[in-house]
Amino acid sequence: MRSAGCRGLLYCLRVMRTSLVFFFAALAFGGCAPARQASLEPASARARYFGDTTPPAENVLTFNLGAEPEMFDPSVAVGQPDGRVCRILFEGLTREDPRTLEPLPGQAYRWDITPDGLTYTFHLRPHLTWSDGRPITADDFRWSWLRVLRPETASRYAGLIFPIVNAEAYNKGMIHDERLVGIEATDDSTLTVRLAAPTAYFLYLTQFYTCLPVPRWAIEKHGNRWTRPENIVCNGPFRLAWWRQNDHFEFVRNPRYWDAAHVKLDRIMAYPVEDLNTSTNLYKAGVFDWNPSGYIPSQFIPYLRDYADFRHGNYQGIYFYSINVTRKPLDNPWVRRALNYAVDREAIANDLLKRSRDPWGNFTPSGYPGYTHPPAITFDPAKARECLARAGYPGGKGFPKISILFNTSEDHRRIAEAIQAMWKRELSIDVELSNQEWGSYLQATSALQYDVARRSWIGDYLDPNTFLACYVTGDGNNRTGWSNPRYDALIRSAAVELDAEKRLAILRDAEALLLEEGPVIPIYHYSTNELVKPYVRGIYQTPLDIHPLTYVWIDRQWQHRASEPPVATAIPARARREHGR
Amino acid sequence: MTSLLIRRVLLMVPTLWVIATLTFFMIHAAPGGPFQSEREIPEAAKQQLNAKYGLDRPLGEQYVSFLIHAVRFDFGPSYKFPARQVREIILEALPVSAELAGWALLLALVFGVPFGVLAAVKQNQRLDYAAMGAALAGVSVPNFVLGPALVLGLSLTLFLFPPALWQGPMSRVLPVATLATAYVAYIARLTRAGMLEVLRQDYIRTARAKGLSERAVVFKHALKLGILPVVSYLGPAAARVVMGSIVIETIFSVPGLGRYLVNAAFNRDYTLVMGEVLFYATMLMVLNLIIDVAYTRLDPRVEAA
Repeated sequence: MRSAGCRGLLYCLRVMRTSLVFFFAALAFGGCAPARQASLEPASARARYFGDTTPPAENVLTFNLGAEPEMFDPSVAVGQPDGRVCRILFEGLTREDPRTLEPLPGQAYRWDITPDGLTYTFHLRPHLTWSDGRPITADDFRWSWLRVLRPETASRYAGLIFPIVNAEAYNKGMIHDERLVGIEATDDSTLTVRLAAPTAYFLYLTQFYTCLPVPRWAIEKHGNRWTRPENIVCNGPFRLAWWRQNDHFEFVRNPRYWDAAHVKLDRIMAYPVEDLNTSTNLYKAGVFDWNPSGYIPSQFIPYLRDYADFRHGNYQGIYFYSINVTRKPLDNPWVRRALNYAVDREAIANDLLKRSRDPWGNFTPSGYPGYTHPPAITFDPAKARECLARAGYPGGKGFPKISILFNTSEDHRRIAEAIQAMWKRELSIDVELSNQEWGSYLQATSALQYDVARRSWIGDYLDPNTFLACYVTGDGNNRTGWSNPRYDALIRSAAVELDAEKRLAILRDAEALLLEEGPVIPIYHYSTNELVKPYVRGIYQTPLDIHPLTYVWIDRQWQHRASEPPVATAIPARARREHGR
Repeated sequence: MTSLLIRRVLLMVPTLWVIATLTFFMIHAAPGGPFQSEREIPEAAKQQLNAKYGLDRPLGEQYVSFLIHAVRFDFGPSYKFPARQVREIILEALPVSAELAGWALLLALVFGVPFGVLAAVKQNQRLDYAAMGAALAGVSVPNFVLGPALVLGLSLTLFLFPPALWQGPMSRVLPVATLATAYVAYIARLTRAGMLEVLRQDYIRTARAKGLSERAVVFKHALKLGILPVVSYLGPAAARVVMGSIVIETIFSVPGLGRYLVNAAFNRDYTLVMGEVLFYATMLMVLNLIIDVAYTRLDPRVEAA
């Protein structure tokens, strides 16, 4: 998960610069369709593009990675840049459909699931090889997944594969025999996974970067230096040709990838540019072909809406305020309800954030197939005042001063100020603002040293569970002190429910309970805002902001095609036939 | 001369020790630690990580072990980038920062000194006002204003230079120009002030009385002393340019040392912070020493004691 907007380098610098660049940009945007594009006519005659639209001479994709990855060893990778690099270099049993992110056959060409949903048998494609020519076997997957679970690996995402039999016990050091863990390589090309409970989203996990296979011999030989360009062995569509920290990554096509014949890009260049203005400049100048979501200054977004290469869509993330229920008066649910109803989400998203985000009164984001949300929390000042009165503070009388904590950032401050004013106006209560730099802020939220704190949560897989499971009693991501036995029971029963519809209904009840009890104040729904050059084909807007680059290609005839031609290779017909049972 | 060198080098040791100690305890006292994130790290994993990096040991013990290793310029792996040693990170980023700094300082001297001399010679004339006006603007405009302005004008409008990144000679132009401007201006002002001071002195009058040409007076006699303030400024300036171009490195996405320093502190990357701080301190002291030595060569009145 990306810590939304936290990596501000020199806070005050950015504030000043952003406003300045914004001013310059406003001047420049008016006449900004560059001269070099003037000769292009047909299909795209009326579309305006942001900056240069000359395709690169070679089949190369250049994009902003956003930040230097902490580690791109899949078993221990954590952040979004780490994941992007892992997905270029490695391929799991399944892989994401570039449009829908549904699992497609990857290294496994088919799989069987027993009717009780507890046993998955994956069949690997024949003749798979690592980039150094060694064959890929089912045991490579078994070893890689056990490596994630091994306590000494200290993988932060190990919890993702806890649905596997005994995985949690093994990870926590309660059992030491790896044969007891439900991962078994029946033969060279068959991997059998046994789950402790039917896990509806398990296939999604097999494409997540934590579950990517890693080369055992390279790791045993080089230790944690195995990811260096001279040592790394991979199995994905590209391999690592060059890397210098904070400079760039260069990936080249991996000829040993099973579907290398359909990989059209020869190279991918990824730059870790942290500054949002710089990233957008590089896109405008035509250096970057793709400026992924999160790397455009939020003030630019209203201006960029008119350009044909700007894409806006839903992102599975929620910006919310977390309430520390261990402190008075916030331990009273009526107080929390009052605070919740007194927040005008529309005003924040539409006026303050200029519609770059969508107001949101639920805790799970939109777009989960088959899931219907419980009624959202709406702005209702009368109800808010009533709740506060029921809590024993009619008209805000006697309400102690509370404070809103946020990590230092201009956007967070503006929102906190707006909410401070709303609570003052609607509830007549006094709130103070307190900001801390990132490290201190994290410490304060996880140690429950706050009253109300800004937080955000980004989904890992396409299921409401990725949000709701955080609020079970004692979960490390709960960070509110809130505990509700009925809620815990609902989440537990959803985990073992086989019927998809019933399961989602249980989760819906859980979300309704969470909103009713109010340890969280949802504020807005995250959006993806990205810039993609019109000649780049195969990058789609997706709800998890995950973009498989395997079949991306450079279309030099882009202006003669009205829209993207059907990409035969994106979902190989062969793979489609082999899919499933 | 030799004794000066030896004494100064020996003095560096306690200074570095004090800096190392203060930094060590300050960064460890900051709330939080290297292994925290918005997504909770499982307790077991956290313990494993702490054990792996020795963070579970008493702070005093960690301090001693840090000192022993620091003497050999070994700070261990970065916590944020565990596949890399801190030493490796510094040595990889240093040439980039040094190149950026080198060009900027060269530019600053090549333009700053002549402008300063010119302004001093033509004191209170139009040329002086023009040069000093420009210098005042150069000193006053912060680089986070100048950088984006240059990018907008020269890169996004005229397409002369790439707007950022560190690839090929053209990509050097904008960051170097942005970084150098303030130094050009400051050196011009320093040179002018130094020259004005010197030009009024008796030995200059003597030189003129001897019938030397104005050119010889200015360049042979006056400049040698007039430039001294610039020389003493060069030491700290060089160090600041190498490590302190954080803003430039961010605006232009240059893979230098400065970007690491700020982020390392935010991330509580203890080892990287220690490595960078000590490296910076050492460099500052060494550069100052070099400047002091140069001083004794330029100005015979300064005793090499």
